[in-house]
Amino acid sequence: MSPLLIALLGALLIPLFVGRWRMSLFGLALQGLILAAIAYPELGPLRSAQAWLTLADLGLVRGVLVPLALYTVLRAQGAPSRNDTVAPNLFSWTLALGMVLAAFNLSDILVSAPGQEQTLVAISVAGVLLGFLVLASATGPLSQMVGALRIENAIAILQLSGSHESSFALELALLAVFVATVALFRWYLASLESQPTAPSELESAPDSLTL
Amino acid sequence: MNPLALVLVPTVLSFGLALRRVREQARLLLVAAAVVGSVLAFSHAMMSSRELWLWGYVRLDATSRLFVALINPIFLGVSWYVAVRLTATPALHSGFGRFAGLALTFLGAANAAVLGNHLIVQWIALEITTLVAAPLIIRPGVVRSRAASWHYLLFSSVGLGLVLLGFLCLGRGLQAAGHAPSYFIDQLAALKPTGAGPWGNLGLSLVLLGLGTKLGLAPMYTWLPDAYDEAPPAVSALLGAVQFNAVLVLLLRVLQVYRPINPSLVTGELLILGLASMVISAASIIATWNMKRLIAYAAINHAGVIAIGLALGKGAAYGVLIYVISNAFIKAILFLTAGKIKAHYRTEDTREISGLIKDLPYSGIFLLVGTLALLGFPPFGSFFGELLILSALVSFGHLYVFAAFCVVITITFVATGRTFFPMIWGLPKKVHNWPRQTFLAISPKAGFFVILVVLGLYIPPALSGLLERVAASLEGP
Repeated sequence: MSPLLIALLGALLIPLFVGRWRMSLFGLALQGLILAAIAYPELGPLRSAQAWLTLADLGLVRGVLVPLALYTVLRAQGAPSRNDTVAPNLFSWTLALGMVLAAFNLSDILVSAPGQEQTLVAISVAGVLLGFLVLASATGPLSQMVGALRIENAIAILQLSGSHESSFALELALLAVFVATVALFRWYLASLESQPTAPSELESAPDSLTL
Repeated sequence: MNPLALVLVPTVLSFGLALRRVREQARLLLVAAAVVGSVLAFSHAMMSSRELWLWGYVRLDATSRLFVALINPIFLGVSWYVAVRLTATPALHSGFGRFAGLALTFLGAANAAVLGNHLIVQWIALEITTLVAAPLIIRPGVVRSRAASWHYLLFSSVGLGLVLLGFLCLGRGLQAAGHAPSYFIDQLAALKPTGAGPWGNLGLSLVLLGLGTKLGLAPMYTWLPDAYDEAPPAVSALLGAVQFNAVLVLLLRVLQVYRPINPSLVTGELLILGLASMVISAASIIATWNMKRLIAYAAINHAGVIAIGLALGKGAAYGVLIYVISNAFIKAILFLTAGKIKAHYRTEDTREISGLIKDLPYSGIFLLVGTLALLGFPPFGSFFGELLILSALVSFGHLYVFAAFCVVITITFVATGRTFFPMIWGLPKKVHNWPRQTFLAISPKAGFFVILVVLGLYIPPALSGLLERVAASLEGP
């Protein structure tokens, strides 16, 4: 396993054991940047627009813009630094490690030849399973977003692991949908975390004023 | 006429709403776009033309013809309802431009999802319907609706993420079998991929699970009651009757091309998802006294029935399609009627509402007809659809599923009737003397009602032919 793949696995796992939102976002950023570093030699000389788009998607959008978008909201809200994405106990941690082992076993079935492709598939499956673990454990919107974004990154890892039929326009549309999703996530993070909790403010608007 | 107009007309108009002068005419624009969409959809459904458009990305076959002719008139009815509400309640004018813009984008994307001949293009279109529907669920000043909208977006993102992952796995499966990876449906149909392999099995399972999430099937169904309950009635109707069918088209496409790679996996997974959804919905219907939540749980029940029907393929396909059409109109009638009742009584607690047939006669009649159709009474399409699905369960030897289906549907029948019938027939708790509803106000629901009853009594040969062709495409080899 190459150092980059080891680092990618670390970026998936380590933030789970550190219950800080900064660490969760740093983990997401690291995943994007490492994916860009893995993709760079595969894309060859950067002559095609599609190669540039893939690099921008992984390195710029997933590695920088997405974590930054969530970071600015949390910073502005003065969110408490503690934020457990999974329950901080031995059971959750064992479950997380067990999922990684299961992912490597599954990748042996999916890709018979050992090598980078097999490891990338294993890390992608681990990313999906850990994303679901985060979603199942999370109660707050931030952790739920982190879980969903982990799954999105796992999809990007699987795309990277093999060739697939695509065009520049389709890749651009997929990226635009991803950016729009994250923009909505950001808006919900800002509005849900700042929602009023006083009973008087929780009362419904009159339904006669609803379409 | 190029079918792409069904996508472009609403999308271009939605961008036009960014201009203030155009925004002032938002109501007119919304209804006009819906009328144009319905006329185009009907003309495409009735007239035969070439099948592939736009370099093969758009396909006009029996499936897309049927579903554009289903979702566009429903959108027209909902738009008409909204326009009438706006006339009656001028306070709703503020922010209506935003609603119209998002609704038109939603329609354009839903049409793109139905017309797409490329699995990834259809996926992108469904994502767009989700992204524009999420803000529509939010009611100004209602915190719960914001949380429901977030759950909708989260579950949809995860569900559609699984679908995309599944498509990538299916593509890898094709490569492993020595084929060039493709997501064009006509090419996949011509290829007739067989022999799943681990990638194919994994991909198919993920796609069914992900689409099941978007349809509101168990286990990831919890977003649905929250979203349908909290959304404004017009938006609940759009989600339940338009978006549901756009997602269903993608499921039909997947079944048309990928069922042969592992038919037993498809049947097993859809039967389990369908039956689990029916059980969960029956238990939830017993437990709730909330009117809109009850309709939402009934929608989960309907999704379960459709999944069971699709699991069977042969024999049940025609019944499933009749059920789907009937189900779309039932949901539109019930959600719009529930909105009217809630606006008058200022409560969703069914125990607080009684004597609707005297108090709000039109709403009482619509609720009665909707409930009877919901419960699968004759002559509605839901009755014939369920009958054909049950008959197919027996003829394919799924007797345990048949028995469970009958038990669960009976429980649902009793629980729904126990809640809704006193609302309709009971003695009014207070004399309200609401102003009489105008014909204009009830016309969208009356339109849906007429279509529902007519289609239950008589299916025109043109529609029947279309249904047969779609059913045949679902049968597989």
